[in-house]
Amino acid sequence: MSPGETATIHPRTGGRDWWISVLGESFGLSFWLFAAFALLAAVISYVILGPESFDDAVSENLAQLGFMLPRVAVAQVVAGFVWVLMPHDRVSQLVGPDGGRRGLVIATMAGIITPGGPASAFSLLVLIGSVGGDRGILVAYISSWAMLGLQRILVWDLPLMGVEFSVIRFLVCLPLPILAGLIARRLPLRLRLVEHPEQQDGRRS
Amino acid sequence: MNFSVFVLYGMGIALGVFALSRGDGSFQRGLVRAVEHFGKLVPRMLCALVAAGFVAKLIPTEFISRFLGADVGLAGILIGTLAGLIVPSGPVVAFSVGAAFASAGASVPALVSFITAWSLFAVHRIFIFEIPLLGFSFLRVRLLSVLILPPLAGGLALAATRAMSMVGM
Repeated sequence: MSPGETATIHPRTGGRDWWISVLGESFGLSFWLFAAFALLAAVISYVILGPESFDDAVSENLAQLGFMLPRVAVAQVVAGFVWVLMPHDRVSQLVGPDGGRRGLVIATMAGIITPGGPASAFSLLVLIGSVGGDRGILVAYISSWAMLGLQRILVWDLPLMGVEFSVIRFLVCLPLPILAGLIARRLPLRLRLVEHPEQQDGRRS
Repeated sequence: MNFSVFVLYGMGIALGVFALSRGDGSFQRGLVRAVEHFGKLVPRMLCALVAAGFVAKLIPTEFISRFLGADVGLAGILIGTLAGLIVPSGPVVAFSVGAAFASAGASVPALVSFITAWSLFAVHRIFIFEIPLLGFSFLRVRLLSVLILPPLAGGLALAATRAMSMVGM
């Protein structure tokens, strides 16, 4: 391989170099740390819980994987198309880093109604960041999805924890994503997103 | 397969057809991005889900539920928060642990802080999605921003349940 080839930062997509770079990112150091942690957890639970519980956990793990894989796959395809088709500059104006409270309210409402699991919510979070949503909006959106997502409340809170609990939890949590967004805007920390490290976020100092 | 998965598949197909119809390479670029993200997420996801599944089995539910009773007030809120932090798994595990706490007599404020803490800090989600897609810098900002929310939610729930019992609801 010539020096010129190794210097290529973005290999031609679909080509051999591109596949190699995708695989390299997929199975980098952090993957092996994860794998080691999974192995450790497996060994500990085998020792502490015994073979029977261990088998239970394995079959539950497989079921969970079967549940997640198709969701993650299709969510990435949807996010990829949205990314390409979206008029980035026009959406930027909508969520732009104006630092207003209105953005936090809209982000909270968007989090409540986002359908699907973490695969869709985090893909949407990346999109919001890429069109210039500031840290307050990002934190408010993902906190709102996590605490108040209607889909989870309907599927899990209501049947398992009951109506009284679900209503109380929803109402007391309702203002909290906005609070988290306001705190995020005041934190004296630099924010560099993986996909847009060069972008300055809208922290008000 | 439930409704939301059908919606996602429908969206994927509709957007794919639209991207193809533009005939400007949008379709290919969208798929390239999808493959890149998929490759980043899935190997880590396999490991994290397996680890989470085992760790979830090790959580001492019965032991913790002793500290979540109605008479412990603020202490219950703090312990509920801590318990929520250590559940490293999806809603199946979190809500079954929550239901076990509830049947062992945990108070509503303790349960509110438990579910809120789990929803904000779920470790598996951080490892599977947040770090690969957004990075440590975002994780740090987000964690510091939401740190006080679970005990705050529990405190508000405590105030709400006290107010409700005073008016006789």
